[in-house]
Amino acid sequence: MDVKDLNKRIKTLEEQLIQALEEVESQHDLQQVKSRYLGKKAEISQLMRHMKDIPDDDKPAFGKAVNEGKQRFTELIEAKREEIRKAEVERKLRAERIDLTLDAPDFTPGSVHILNQIVEEIEDLFIGMGYRVKEGPEIETDEYNFEKLNIPKDHPARDMQDTLYIDDEHLLRTHTSPVQVRTMLEYGGEKPVKIICPGKVYRRDDDDATHSHQFYQIEGLVVDETTTMSDLKGTLLKVARAMFGEDREIRLRPSYFPFTEPSVEVDVTCANCDGAGCSVCKHSGYIEILGAGMVNNAVLKSSGYDPKRYQGFAFGLGIERIAMLRYGIEDIRHFYVNDLRFNRQFR
Amino acid sequence: MKVSLTWLNNYVSLKGIEPKTLSEAFTLKSQEVEDLFPLVDADHLTIGKVIDCRSHENASSLSVCDVDTGDATRQIVCGADNVAAGQKVVVALPGSRLAGGMEIEKTEIRGVESNGMICSLNELGIDEKYHYEDGIHVLDPSAPVGTDALEYLAFNDTVLELDLTPNRADLLSMHGVAYETAAIFNRNLSISDPELITAEEKNQVDISTETDGCRSYYGRVLDNVSIGPSPRWMQARLIAAGIRPINNVVDVTNYVMLETGQPLHAFDYDRIGTGEVVVRDAEEGETFITLDDETRTLKRGDVLITNGEKPIAIGGVMGGAQTEVTEGTSSILLESAAFEPRRIRRTSARLELKSESSLRFERGIDPQRTRYALDRAASLIAIYASASVRDGVQYVDNQAKGSKPVDLSLSTLNKVLGSAYKSSEVRETLNRLRFPYEEEDGLFTVHVPSRRQDVNTYQDLIEEIGRLQDYNALPDTLPTTLSTGALSARQKMRRRIRRTLTGLGLDEVMTYVLRDKARVSDLTVSDADPVELSKPLSRDRHALVLTPLQGMLDVAAYNKNRKEDRLHIFELGKRYGLKAEKERLSILMHGPYRHRRWRKTPETDFYTLKGVLEALQESLNLPSFTYERKTLDHYHPHQTALLKVDGELVGHIGKLHPEYASGYGLEDVYVGELDLDVIESLRRTDHAYAPISPYPGVERDIALLVDEETPAQALKETIAASLPKRLKQSHVFDVYTGERIEEGKKSIAIRLTLADPQGTLKSEDIDALISKVIEALTKEHGALQR
Ligand SMILES: [Zn+2]
Repeated sequence: MDVKDLNKRIKTLEEQLIQALEEVESQHDLQQVKSRYLGKKAEISQLMRHMKDIPDDDKPAFGKAVNEGKQRFTELIEAKREEIRKAEVERKLRAERIDLTLDAPDFTPGSVHILNQIVEEIEDLFIGMGYRVKEGPEIETDEYNFEKLNIPKDHPARDMQDTLYIDDEHLLRTHTSPVQVRTMLEYGGEKPVKIICPGKVYRRDDDDATHSHQFYQIEGLVVDETTTMSDLKGTLLKVARAMFGEDREIRLRPSYFPFTEPSVEVDVTCANCDGAGCSVCKHSGYIEILGAGMVNNAVLKSSGYDPKRYQGFAFGLGIERIAMLRYGIEDIRHFYVNDLRFNRQFR
Repeated sequence: MKVSLTWLNNYVSLKGIEPKTLSEAFTLKSQEVEDLFPLVDADHLTIGKVIDCRSHENASSLSVCDVDTGDATRQIVCGADNVAAGQKVVVALPGSRLAGGMEIEKTEIRGVESNGMICSLNELGIDEKYHYEDGIHVLDPSAPVGTDALEYLAFNDTVLELDLTPNRADLLSMHGVAYETAAIFNRNLSISDPELITAEEKNQVDISTETDGCRSYYGRVLDNVSIGPSPRWMQARLIAAGIRPINNVVDVTNYVMLETGQPLHAFDYDRIGTGEVVVRDAEEGETFITLDDETRTLKRGDVLITNGEKPIAIGGVMGGAQTEVTEGTSSILLESAAFEPRRIRRTSARLELKSESSLRFERGIDPQRTRYALDRAASLIAIYASASVRDGVQYVDNQAKGSKPVDLSLSTLNKVLGSAYKSSEVRETLNRLRFPYEEEDGLFTVHVPSRRQDVNTYQDLIEEIGRLQDYNALPDTLPTTLSTGALSARQKMRRRIRRTLTGLGLDEVMTYVLRDKARVSDLTVSDADPVELSKPLSRDRHALVLTPLQGMLDVAAYNKNRKEDRLHIFELGKRYGLKAEKERLSILMHGPYRHRRWRKTPETDFYTLKGVLEALQESLNLPSFTYERKTLDHYHPHQTALLKVDGELVGHIGKLHPEYASGYGLEDVYVGELDLDVIESLRRTDHAYAPISPYPGVERDIALLVDEETPAQALKETIAASLPKRLKQSHVFDVYTGERIEEGKKSIAIRLTLADPQGTLKSEDIDALISKVIEALTKEHGALQR
């Protein structure tokens, strides 16, 4: 056997190896092929025995040819090994194929009640302007709910608020104004007041689409030596725009509340028609959103503030009304029925 | 107040002012306008004369009439019983439109041609409460055929309905509305004095008052009164104002009341009998028959008008049946009086006799108009009931009638409004209001007329000027008061609770506080008498809840009925007491939690809710709760516990008793409640930092055999106590009863994580620690290691 024969033989073996590898499917098969073509008993290993029959001059070339042949065989086998490994990974991954469109488990967050969302929003607006949030009891006395607010017994204004009485003295507050009185008394008539008062209030009303015996109110109060009606107007414009959009305008109309003088009702331009008139605003272009005014001196006095030195403004708005206008909610009872299909729309 | 614009135009010219403009101006400068509507919403109505009236050949209930409408004689089919030949009637010609949008056309009714319609008042849109008529409206024989029927009936009017605030008593009169209109539009005003011609006979009725409930009382006597209908224009104006016409005397009293705001009353003078009027306080329990023939029981505080012997009227509220003006009345005593508003308010509310009169007395009337109204009414009755008025007025009057001076400086005005008005603008506004004033160096002393009882202080004057100048012209500024805004600790905590629980998938609800008294204590830990309304709102709304859970249970039932089975809700509410309102957080859970939908999801159980509460406990930085088994009404006897921290009650957790839950159509309902006051006091606000130990912890499992009743919490407490400084945590990972476990025992496996912050624990140290734990568990709980 000379070098030429050797190369030919190796070439043949290589072709056989390639053939054999083609049929290999597992690492196990590959191991068998490997020992058959590269093991101690493999032909290529046996070829070295012919070395002694080779002329000395050709010996290096012979040895090199065998080694290179082994090298190529190894590469072929290792390439196959990598191919099989990859195929196995692929198979495993394929087995993990899933329907990506199936539903996820329900991790949906719950909903904060829409009325509380709006209250928090208004609180944040006012906290940003330096207001404190004050609260008080829902079971009030006649004195705080009415008398200190310039509504003595037998005053016609009591008809404006049909009251739920507990006994001669106690009642369910009809507005959060008593919190204003309590705060002013707490402050002792000496320092400025800048508060908002959210809370539940109650009136004797038959529940229907637009009336509720229980509702949610926020009132605001500022008392200082310099507080003006223009300050009230500017503040209410901020509220209206925060609630209904930055392009809203407001309109003040004269009204009457015993605890403010002058008193106004405040309309916002209808977001539905932009003031042109539509069924939502009863063709007026405006929607009433709140009542407000300059604090009546009688209230300042009964709350320990000297009207000669202090003046102030107050306003009150109904949260349900804001929500109904903002979202087009047609029935006030939705807020208290808590049909979760309703609540969950406001996540 | 419903304002006839035809009437208003008598006092202040509305020329050039469209009704809509008037309405908008009132809304912006005065009072809210409730409605603006034509008195009769119909057109093309003509006066016709029925020439012939015969039975319809195919329908006995119908008549076929020939009606002369001036331009032609038309055949009209009429269904009214009262139609008859010779009548003057209101005819809607083909092409006309009636109230409610009904269009009249030439038609055929049961085979007979009909060229229009003979109208009833209802068909004109005049409500039945203003007339008693059943059939067609029959006009006076003198009605001119072929002319406009609405004009003849004075129904061609527009009504402006004002939604009055209670302070503006002055606008309960046409005179007041006229002053207001003149002020808004800066127009002239013409209100004339009554022209009264009196007879020679002297008015000698003897009037006296014994009560401060009567401020003034004026009386006139009229003779030869001829009772009959009042003139059409007066009837129309009454109808426009919402008052039913009755007869000329009653109508005049109502008309003058509407005109001046001063209520009047007419007595049958002969039936008073004594020629005397004495006003006094009612005796407690005294009875009196009012003119609606009801016997009224009176109280001290009611004002009675008497003839010196017997009552003849409840002052300001209602007259008596005995002295009512009837067809046979010939002499009347006209009363124009003023009563103490509060007394009228109380009496009319108690007797449920609210009327146009009581409304005006309650709100306060203009003392200057008491006499005016009396004379005005007398003059009208003289004309329209052909009466003669006796000479002279008898009266008592204790009212102050002068105007009251109110001071307002220009600087105060601008300081309050934040405006920059000039003296000239103030003068102009006061002139428009017809408020006399003096001015000196920017100080206005305004003499507010008595018709404006609501204007008493400088703030009231600022309002008058502000509204007529237009509030919307004020600048938009913000308060200059410097202050910091912030939420209180409680308010922050509530927000944190909301965010934590909604993060866990719970929905917040808000329920009614007023509920059925029988149920408000159902789910509480400690009973209390609920606060009740003195007069229930309804059968199931009269007591204040002692826990929000009661309303939440209704929410759960409501949603369950609508096929929602994931009920995980909470409410921040209160336990209401007369002395204190205690804030509560309540949670209700039922149904699959964190639903897996196409895989199996475990149903909510006790531990689900416990997990939610403990998540909240972590989020609020609270110490761990201990669970103390408790039996509570309406709760599951074996799945209910009080939550405590260091022995203090924090709240409770439990499954509702299946029988109770089934009353709401529910099963497997878990509820919990926390006391916010206690929670807030327990919150750790500081965050103590400890460096993270570089030495890893070691986990060791122990398996114990213990009595079935031994709570895991007790075992863990023992473990913790016996491994100070070495135990990082312990948790139960298996609980087993049943086969191979002795009856009454359970197997419980606990994983301990041990660590030494100073170094790595050696295996022999760990063994020592474990035997120490086992020893303690055996000693305290009789536990056997398995
Ligand atoms: Zn609109």
